[in-house]
Parts: sequence; structure tokens; C-alpha cells
Amino acid sequence: MTTSVDRMSYVFGVVAAGTRLPEIDEAGPAAALRLVEAAGLAAVVGTPPAHRSLGRAADLLTHDRVVAALVEAGTPVLPMRFGAVLQSDAAVIEDVLTARHDELRAGLARVAGRVQFTLTVRYEQQVVLRGLLAARPDIARLRGSQDAENFDQRLRLGELVVQALDEMRPADAQAVLADLPDTADLLLHKTTAPDAVLHAAVLVERQAAAAFERGVELVARRHHPRLQLRLAGPSAPYDFVGAG
Amino acid sequence: MSSAVEQRRGGYLDRPSSSSLADVVELILDKGLVIDAYIRVSIVGIEILTIDARIVIASVDTYLRFAEATNRLDLYEHGGKDLGELTESLSEGGAEGKTSGVIEGAKHKVDELMHGDDEDDEDDEDDEDDEDNEEEDEEEDEEPGDDEDDEEEEEEDERPSRSRRNRARQSSARRRSRGGDDE
Repeated sequence: MTTSVDRMSYVFGVVAAGTRLPEIDEAGPAAALRLVEAAGLAAVVGTPPAHRSLGRAADLLTHDRVVAALVEAGTPVLPMRFGAVLQSDAAVIEDVLTARHDELRAGLARVAGRVQFTLTVRYEQQVVLRGLLAARPDIARLRGSQDAENFDQRLRLGELVVQALDEMRPADAQAVLADLPDTADLLLHKTTAPDAVLHAAVLVERQAAAAFERGVELVARRHHPRLQLRLAGPSAPYDFVGAG
Repeated sequence: MSSAVEQRRGGYLDRPSSSSLADVVELILDKGLVIDAYIRVSIVGIEILTIDARIVIASVDTYLRFAEATNRLDLYEHGGKDLGELTESLSEGGAEGKTSGVIEGAKHKVDELMHGDDEDDEDDEDDEDDEDNEEEDEEEDEEPGDDEDDEEEEEEDERPSRSRRNRARQSSARRRSRGGDDE
């Protein structure tokens, strides 16, 4: 009824053909949410707004909401990277579902029945800084004598603290990793903040999710109060759909 | 971020009960199945805005955590010299100094992202005049005579988006304040 230019296709992810679409508020790119099927595969597709660009925070949240709803319903899904817009549903069939059929089938088989957890570990600042002040007279001295007017001293203090954190990080990250209950499929992200210890994604069997959570709770207790563990998920396997 | 955290079971593990924007950015941005650029329709704004979102959210998150740590700290008994300065140094002294350098612009950018104004470039233009004053206020410790770098920076920065250019200016200003440590 409309030309392909008017109705483009925002792809949320790839699922098996015949999957039931989640009931979802059809906002932003989730407008006219539909299943585009070919060769036993299906793309979950919406129509992106024609009158404005994507890239708002709300659009990102919508992307996550649609994919999360599929995961919650127990559907194996390969989530697309945010912003996958094709010219038409026909292009989705031809360029994605057909052209990459084998790769997508293999990917779906890999994540079927599994969910991703994402673990981030940080130093608890109060505890770690306190420990540093006690263990390192040079740091304590700088802090004690610190002069608000003296930028160089403040800089030196911060530098020493960050260096100290850098030195203790590898051992702490290793200790947490060694304690994790399930690391068969684990992917480590680079951490950037000075107080970040570890950022890892783990693919876990859906039936084992509760046990995994309990296991991580024990790890959190073991490393309390120096380390603060945060576990997000279960989510779609965002970190496990790439070429890797 | 503890408002979005539900303490369950033993309570040692943070379990976000709902996805905040920061969580979603960390979890899904730049992840997932990639579609080749030549089949994808190029939607103006996605690349730039998502890059901005990641940087802004990261810095706001850091900012808030450090502020929170400062507020609840009971360790510092010396009048006036508290963790605020320590954490400030901490966040500036790390390898990610350039992330903390965008904090000044962060509130601005978050508004932009939340409201999704595509016209925001104009706002940035207005702000530019005030920028130097703001920098002076914030960096009272800075040695004078660093202005000579400005022109050079302008030339280095041939990035397409004005907001990114502003950010670069701010972070290079911050770099200067860290003692000309180039990176």
C-alpha cells in the first residue's frame, strides 16, 4: 500500500519462524511490529518513524524492550545491534534471512535455551580508599597535607590512588572469576573506570539461571565489602551473537 | 544507582530490578548482530547519537557515583578537605581522564538525548561563547597562559558534529589542566 521508502524496516532481532510476537507498546521503531519470515527464520521488524531520525534514548529503550520481551517469553533470539534499518521487508528477507541463513541458524542453535548475565564488579570506594590510606603512608601523607590551592599535589594524590588500584585490580578480577559458578561461555569486556574491577558477560542455561544467580550472590558475599558486584540479566545474548 | 536496585536474598549482590538507561546503554549499545553498512539504510543520527550516549551516560554515572561516595563519607575529619577532592583527582588522574572531561557538558547532552532534539546544534552554538568563562570558573587552579593551545585544537578538530567538537574542546581543556599530558 505504501512505497518501500515510506515503510522501512527496523530489525530488532532474528528468531525461528512461527515465533509469537510479544505484546508491546508499539512506540518508536516498534510501530507496526511484525514477523518477516523466510526459510524457517523470522525477523522481528518494526517501522521506524519517517519524520525524524532514530537515536533517541527512548528508541534504545524500545529496542531493549522488544528484545527483552522475547527473552522473557522463552524465545531464542539473536538481537540486532541498535539501528538496523533496511529499505523494506523484502530487503530483510533477501539480505538478512536468506543471505545469512546458515550463520543465523547456527547462531540461534547456539543461544537456544540460554540467557546472558552481565556482571560488573567495582571497588567499594570507602573501603578501598580507607585501606589504601592505612597501607600507604605516602598516600596518607599527601592527603593529610593536601593543600586545596596546590593542584600538583592533588594530581599526585589521585595518580597514586589510581596506580594503586591498577596494581590490585588483576588479582581481584582473577579471584572473582575463579569463584564464578559457570564460566563455560564467558566474555570479558575491557574496563575503563579506575575503580572498575571486572566486566563480564556469561551465557547460562535458562534452567540454571537461578542457580547461577545464587552462586554469584555467594561470590558477592565472599568479597564483601571490598568489592561491589552487580548482576544484570537474564537478557538476550547480546555479547554472543557476533563472529566470535 | 541504588534506586534501581532491588536487594534480594543475602543482599550482597546488586540486582537491578529494571533497566535504567545507563544499564541499557552498557548492555546493548554496540552489541548484537551487525548488518553490513551497504544493505543498511543510513539513518542520520544513529551513529553520532549512540556514541554520544555512551560517553555521556558513562560520565554521568561516574559523576553520580563519586558524588554519592563523597556525600556519605565519614572518614574525613579535616575541615574542608574531603573526598570530593580526592575523588576529583581520582577521576581525573585515571586513563579515562577524557571521559570525566565531558562531565560539564553531560547534563546538557543528557537533556538532548532524553528529549531527542535534533536541532540541538543551535543551542551548542549559543553556549560556545560562555564556554571559556565556565572553564575558568571550574579550573581555578589552572596556570595562566594555556590559551595558546586553543587555535591548534580548533584545527585539529575537524569532526562533523558541533557537539562532539565541544566535547573535544572540553576534554582537551581538562587535559591541559592535568598538566599537558597528551593522549
